[in-house]
Amino acid sequence: MYWKYAIKRVLYGLLMYAILIFIFSALFNTVMEQTLRAQIEEQIRGETMRMTSLNESQLENYVINRRSDLYSLYRLNKPVAERIMWRTWDTLTLNLGNSTIIRSSKGSRSVWDVVSEAIPKTLLLFSVAMLVDIFLGLLLGLKKAQKAGGVLDKSTSVGTMVVFGMPSWWLGMIMIMFFAYGVKIFPSGGLHSTPPPEGISYFFDLLYHLALPVLTLVVIGFWGRAFLTRNIVLGVLQDDYIMAARARGIPERKVLYGHTMRTSAPPIVTMSLLALLASVGGNIVYEGIFSWPGMGNLYWIALQQNDVPVLMGNLAITTGLYICGLVILDLIYGLLDPRIKVGGR
Amino acid sequence: MTVSDFRRSASEFWREFRKVKSGVFGLIFLAIFICILIFEPVIVPYPEANEKWRDITYWQDLPSSAPPSWINLFTSKKRAVSDSIDEYSFSEILAGTMRIQEYIFEYDYSASVAPSDVVFHASGVGKPTVVISIQRPDGLSIDLYRKQLEMSPTQDARVSIDRSAQTAAMNFGKKYSPSEGVQLQTIKTTDVLFSEAKQGIFRSPSPLTGTYKLKVTLLLQKADEEIKDAFVTVAGRVHGILGTDNSKRDIWSGVIAGVKWAMLIGLLTALVSVSIGVVYGVISAYVGGWKDSLMQRIFEIFISVPMLPVLIVMSAVFKPNIWVMIGIMCIFYWVGPVKTVRSMGLQIKEETYIEASRALGASNTRIIFKHMVPLLIPYAFASMALNVPGAIVVEATISLLGLGDATIVTWGQILQAANSGGAMLSGMWWWVVPPGMAIAFMGMTFAFVGFAMDKILNPKLKTR
Repeated sequence: MYWKYAIKRVLYGLLMYAILIFIFSALFNTVMEQTLRAQIEEQIRGETMRMTSLNESQLENYVINRRSDLYSLYRLNKPVAERIMWRTWDTLTLNLGNSTIIRSSKGSRSVWDVVSEAIPKTLLLFSVAMLVDIFLGLLLGLKKAQKAGGVLDKSTSVGTMVVFGMPSWWLGMIMIMFFAYGVKIFPSGGLHSTPPPEGISYFFDLLYHLALPVLTLVVIGFWGRAFLTRNIVLGVLQDDYIMAARARGIPERKVLYGHTMRTSAPPIVTMSLLALLASVGGNIVYEGIFSWPGMGNLYWIALQQNDVPVLMGNLAITTGLYICGLVILDLIYGLLDPRIKVGGR
Repeated sequence: MTVSDFRRSASEFWREFRKVKSGVFGLIFLAIFICILIFEPVIVPYPEANEKWRDITYWQDLPSSAPPSWINLFTSKKRAVSDSIDEYSFSEILAGTMRIQEYIFEYDYSASVAPSDVVFHASGVGKPTVVISIQRPDGLSIDLYRKQLEMSPTQDARVSIDRSAQTAAMNFGKKYSPSEGVQLQTIKTTDVLFSEAKQGIFRSPSPLTGTYKLKVTLLLQKADEEIKDAFVTVAGRVHGILGTDNSKRDIWSGVIAGVKWAMLIGLLTALVSVSIGVVYGVISAYVGGWKDSLMQRIFEIFISVPMLPVLIVMSAVFKPNIWVMIGIMCIFYWVGPVKTVRSMGLQIKEETYIEASRALGASNTRIIFKHMVPLLIPYAFASMALNVPGAIVVEATISLLGLGDATIVTWGQILQAANSGGAMLSGMWWWVVPPGMAIAFMGMTFAFVGFAMDKILNPKLKTR
């Protein structure tokens, strides 16, 4: 039963992705085609520069022929609706075209090469932050729920609200100012030192560079996680079977970590993942502040260089990853919550 | 639900709300923000900050990158504070057809770090020759500037001593400290002018405190030439409540001007999007069947969109102004309350009074808006309050990338300038901290209010 549910969910996610890519293609069609035309003109100019043997009319003929060739290659001579469909198909098959300026570290101008380089770095940063964040949040949340209304609960709840509307990138700026330029205990940004050290020290160097961005993300995030955990656990603690467990004289520790956690874990995990997924989308600017060479930083660079194909390709991939995350979340939830497996939902 | 019903439930809600301390604090903070909004022209030294934020000439008399004035309280080396001198002693001598006007401005210098600039201003018409000299407390006098000015009703005279008297300052310093080899470009004019005339005036100047007299002599050749409104501004080394940025803009004025935009962006986005979301959710729950399924599918398309990346790309491609940006944000934000509202709507729909009113022949519109939506209003308000900070942060984020509306000033735009102006590297905390604090504080205000409402609406969250 679960497999049926899983396959259905994956297919539904794919359909969603296709629909969104189609919408993006239609929305950004004009600007994409302008860039493509400019790229074609540039290519033709480059070719004609080398042709010194041709006379003027031959050259003109060549330009016109070449242009119509390239236009039909990129399907620019087709009607608008068809062009949008083709662009959607190209994006779905990861055929993202060429960038105008940005190159990958190997010098390739293919947008896919540029974007795919950035994906693991983004995943590294945010998954490390996520793990620390969930661990601390869970711990604090349980403590808060245990003595709800106490000093710890009240003070940390205020903390939750203080960081509620705080942009993570602003805290990043402040952290850099004090810990990278002021006290100088952390690097101001980047993935590793230049030149990157070899072997095991590369790993430590990476950790050292990872420390400040992760610390910032955790400082912003774990309050919310703790608050969420507290609310869910508090709801569970009022259930009858907890009271029964307490009445049976089971130690409070065991009630909390055994009985309560077992029921409240699925919603906490999924809601934390959901919040973090949203924050990956929301924190794209954050990478730019720390010069972390991930997908967020790529947006920043693409905007500064006005590299439209990279911007669009990056958007398509970000959307894909986001939907992937949503699907995985649903699958995890289905695994944790038996009611879904039976098809109750 | 009649008006008196509504009033009763509202007063009941208020009685509950009063018990939540954080909610009351939130309301107090909100009141403070509204006060700032109302009294903005009074509390801000540069009330035109919003319109003239990118106008360089509006800010040119301020010091560049100056920290706030109050840091003088914490340092032993006091820095000169920005000032404007409007009082002067005036004398006029007639020499044939020529009139010689003499203005003497007195400046009391008592700090340890000299001001960054002294600027003479005048308006009028004609082409007078202006001669500026300064009489120091130690009796020495330096000729700073001599030039013919062009003045017309549209063009005022403005002489920056720091910029135009560099050579004079070097010659003066060389006389008393001949052994120091310095480059003309590296000399800070005011540092030399306001320091004791002795060895080491360039490299390790010691301040000469006392009353300085700035003598401005204007030679007017024609009878129709006229000078009026002469004054001198002193650009300090510290400035105002929050200092200035590297384009000489007063940050306090900018931050305060940002309040109204943040409120507008946050409240308008939250109001519109939550209203749409609530109505959508209720309709979806009420109509049921295939219409409900279709509406849920559309809703799912919207929640699968990573909002910020799409917003950034849309802003980059379409370059929207602030109103369009709010509209785009609403397109993504309305999905927030739909799920909860729909499940609440499904419950309400089964109530007997809905059935009764349907039996009485009430239209669907009437049932939805008269019987279902009012019950969701408390939830809608809580949800609105909690949506406000998000919208403000999103706008700030887009502005940080340099995609903001260039005709206004928002906190995000100040931070964008700070980020690209290297404020973090040069440790200009007064440029980075206040706008972000304002965002966080505004967010906190609405979070306080929203969470307090949430607490009342979800009795399960009440502490034992």
